[in-house]
Amino acid sequence: MTLLTIVMQNPTPTPASPAGAGIFSSPILLSLLIWLPVLVSVAIAVIPNPRGRYDTLIKQIAFFTNLGLVFILFVAYNQFESFLPTMQYEEKLDWLPAIGVKYHLGVDGPGLVMLVLSGLIGVASVLGSLNVRERVRAYFVLLLLAQSSVNGAIVARDMFLLVFFWGASAIPLTLLVLGWGGPRHSAAAWRLFGYWGFGTAVLAAGVFTLYAVTGGRSFDMETLLKPGLSPRIQIVVSLIMIVAAATRLPLFPLHGWIRDVLAEAPPGVVVVVAGAASRLGAFLLLRTVIAGEPAAGHLLSPVLAALAVLTVGFAGLAALRTIDIRHAGAYLAMVPGGITVLGFAAVSPLGIAGSVLSLFTGGLAAALIAAVCATLSERAQSRSLLVLSGLAPRMPNLAWLLTIAALALLGVPLLASFVAEVMTFFGAFKNQPIGAFAVAGGLAISAIALAVLLRRVLFGAPNTEAPGVSDSSLNETWYLGLLAGGLLWVGLFPGGPKIPGTEVPLFDPGLLNQMTAGISDMASPYVAPVPTPSPGASQ
Amino acid sequence: MAMFGTVVTLLLTLLVTWALTRRSTPYVATYHYFSMSIAFSGPQNFQTFGIDLVLHVDHLTVVALLAIEICMIAAIGWHQVMGRSEPGAARFHAVLTALLFAFTGILMSWDLAELFGFWAIGGALTYLLLAHRWGLDQAASRARVALALPFVTDLSLLCGIAWLYARYGTQNLATLLPILHTNPGWTVRSLVVAAVLLFIGVAGRLALWPVNWWITQTVVTAPPAASAVAQSAWSVAAIVVLYRLMPIAAASNQQTLRAFVSAALVAAVAAPLLGLFGNEPRRAVAMVGSGAVAIAAAVLLNGFSVQSSTFAIAGVAAVLAISLARAGAMLAMSNIAGAMRTDDLAEMGDAWRRMRASSGALLASVLVTALAVSGALAFGIQSRSYNGFALGIALLLVAIGGWRVFLGAAFGPLRRRRAFEPDRVRETPGALGWPYWLAVAGAAFWVASLIASWLNFLDGQRHAAPSPGAIVVWVAIAIVGLAACTATFALSKDGALDASATAGRWLGRATAVVFGVIARFLIAPVTDIARRLGDWIPEGDGALGRVANTSGQIALAAARAPALPVVIVLAVVLAIVLALVAPGVAR
Repeated sequence: MTLLTIVMQNPTPTPASPAGAGIFSSPILLSLLIWLPVLVSVAIAVIPNPRGRYDTLIKQIAFFTNLGLVFILFVAYNQFESFLPTMQYEEKLDWLPAIGVKYHLGVDGPGLVMLVLSGLIGVASVLGSLNVRERVRAYFVLLLLAQSSVNGAIVARDMFLLVFFWGASAIPLTLLVLGWGGPRHSAAAWRLFGYWGFGTAVLAAGVFTLYAVTGGRSFDMETLLKPGLSPRIQIVVSLIMIVAAATRLPLFPLHGWIRDVLAEAPPGVVVVVAGAASRLGAFLLLRTVIAGEPAAGHLLSPVLAALAVLTVGFAGLAALRTIDIRHAGAYLAMVPGGITVLGFAAVSPLGIAGSVLSLFTGGLAAALIAAVCATLSERAQSRSLLVLSGLAPRMPNLAWLLTIAALALLGVPLLASFVAEVMTFFGAFKNQPIGAFAVAGGLAISAIALAVLLRRVLFGAPNTEAPGVSDSSLNETWYLGLLAGGLLWVGLFPGGPKIPGTEVPLFDPGLLNQMTAGISDMASPYVAPVPTPSPGASQ
Repeated sequence: MAMFGTVVTLLLTLLVTWALTRRSTPYVATYHYFSMSIAFSGPQNFQTFGIDLVLHVDHLTVVALLAIEICMIAAIGWHQVMGRSEPGAARFHAVLTALLFAFTGILMSWDLAELFGFWAIGGALTYLLLAHRWGLDQAASRARVALALPFVTDLSLLCGIAWLYARYGTQNLATLLPILHTNPGWTVRSLVVAAVLLFIGVAGRLALWPVNWWITQTVVTAPPAASAVAQSAWSVAAIVVLYRLMPIAAASNQQTLRAFVSAALVAAVAAPLLGLFGNEPRRAVAMVGSGAVAIAAAVLLNGFSVQSSTFAIAGVAAVLAISLARAGAMLAMSNIAGAMRTDDLAEMGDAWRRMRASSGALLASVLVTALAVSGALAFGIQSRSYNGFALGIALLLVAIGGWRVFLGAAFGPLRRRRAFEPDRVRETPGALGWPYWLAVAGAAFWVASLIASWLNFLDGQRHAAPSPGAIVVWVAIAIVGLAACTATFALSKDGALDASATAGRWLGRATAVVFGVIARFLIAPVTDIARRLGDWIPEGDGALGRVANTSGQIALAAARAPALPVVIVLAVVLAIVLALVAPGVAR
């Protein structure tokens, strides 16, 4: 079946919306998010660009493509029905009927959160890539393909499709690191490809295992991820999914790629990798383990808690010890992932809800800290913490952005990560108190690492022997500001801004409101029973 | 603008105070920050989650806010004169104004998650304030303690609130406190854990020894106005929060409360005692203030542990006085240290003659700090009890410590040093009044704390007046301390300061040894393990990659090789393997 035929066929319509909704209606909304960047990348690839004459035009095309995607997302986000437990904006077509593969797309609350994150990251990554001068066309083609594959992995409702997009996201990102990375770009690129390729292979093994045990008729998530599977199979499949997720998020000890990749990649690629592509790991855990295999979710929650503790603790300690600012940013970018997994380990409705929000806030915070460190090292012409010192007076913009990034990682109020961490910790203390305490301890170590980093780089005495420094350019300030602004916006208005004195929402219905769709359903196997009143105090 | 905003806030606070005098119930307003449904079954408390901005304004709130605002106004006014050479004036005043917003939120919060939100904002802003002097290595190095150490205690507060929510499903104090012993599944153990976590969280910002390090490390390197605000305003906010959270600890068990009282007693004795070690006057003032606050905290905690009493509020009233006095002492001492260009008491002297106003303000502040707890002690502690004995020693040390600083700066010769001419030491006009007015305000709060009606006003309960004899006893202890210190300095000021300097060097060496041991045997190995893991894992997967590359090359070579020799070689290898493995062929 050709691509054109797929596009022209009428997909399964979305569930009926209440009267009054639907300013913008499209049966291929999610497909637009996937294939529009692909079409634009193909167009960019074929247009002539003699001696880079149209480099600026290519950058503008990429930017406005992402802006268009954000506009589509904005409308979809506003029209999203937060009370529906089912998938919305569904598209379903037969693709390979002989083996039960469907082109099935759909999004619920957590999926919408990921799409919003991906949209913001897309725009930020293009803004962060405006300084690219060499092989501009190839760069933006690969960047758009990467964004497209991330969107596809988010909205895929067929596991075969998920594996396809999951694996596809590794290729353009590897080529971007290989082609435009720093001095150790080759090692970084091969490491990224090795880990993510291994993760893809493991994910494929898990998917095919599920396919086999469910009769081999369909790859649809509703068929494969049935709670009725035996606990043993659920545990085996869940362990496989945890390994796949750990290579992507990443989680200790499968984190070997993150230091080199985030240290060598150009800033725009850093934003995509840390912000959106890596969050797919946690999203996979949510879809397959938490939502799909609740028996295994309960049994493996200590494993998830242990991984969260090791990840956060290792990240803080490694960041404390390193003398390379980009390595420090890379290690610190692991912290939000650990907190997200803690929420899953909590196996409580509040913990799961906190983790869903943490997908968004963690993506922004991880992207912000890694990107700020990358930009600062470029502007200061050095990565060594032995050289960088006392930069705050000479780089005020970057100083504030690094400070905001540090506060976002720590979950300071007014930033969205505060809400996510409060929900995660509140949900985790019921079922995983030791894990929650240990993650809090790891967060304290991260605070020490951040204090040392800020002291050294920003507030110490200037190093007179260091190379000359300059503050961030306009596009750098914008792309970092966009990431910080996203955190501030959701932190100030998690339920969306309202007309003062009323509950009438303004233009934003509130990320926290929109993400609830589907969470109650996912969390229903984890609701604690109603306790019986005890006759007296028990010691 | 910062001064204007703070003054307007003060006037509004006074207006609300006046309005509150005409009603018996507090003002309560609730605003939704967010609310979301997360489950449709299970215990009702856990089916939705939200954080509400619950603003609860009672008498205690407005009085505490008044104390903080007075301190801030004085700090801003002082900084506008004495801090003219400090960089980043706009940044300083903006952070200070935002900090006032955070403290207002802390004092008004009745939802624990909301409280933590404002608490963490205040913590972040305090760090920015204490790390204000960008470009100075020592300032930046010491300020990192101001981020890391309170963050650890703030995490403890968060853990305590999360623990309570996990058990009770609510974080609003109005709904939480009545169900502490009635919620299905409650246990004493869970209340004990929550109480301990909350106490540690509050103790960090209350700067009780040994978690007052973030204050003492930054007292010289941070702008004096910033340090004054951090010490005084946080002590007021934290003691009010402690007072409001104490019913949770009281609902646990007596052992927990006694443990808290013991911890406060240790802090009350240790802080002023360690303040005698070394001759840094501002550090000594900070330690004395910390000790005085610990005494007041001990009274508060003891008040909740004695079930029939209601004098816990006396501890809060004492801290209101102490906070203003310690801010005044900090600013006055900074005036003197700045003029004499030294932070060593041994190099100071003759301030009473040369800088009469600042030394007078220092005198008043030190006296108020020493005497401020006498009312609380008279209300709540039996002088003949074990707690009374320990607090008596603490009060003695507080009086000695504060008076030592005054005597060291105000009297004795001011010696000439290299590039320092004593005759040039004089007051800076324009900044004189602020420390003095802080001391006066502190004295007013102290006098009020001796009056039962003031305590009645603060917490809305009736309190019996303390016996004049009890007040005299505690005041006498403070006077004994002052007299002892005076006698020592009269005998030999240089000898006394030399002894302090020697003790300070020992303490410094001991601290360095302890931290060296911790760094060598705990921090370095742990971070080294992390670093080695961080290197070993990439090396490992690099080796895997090389193995994969090599095997691929072998496979390519095999594919290019002629088929017949490869088949013969494979057959021979297979035969050998079979011969070795299969029984009855080679053996």
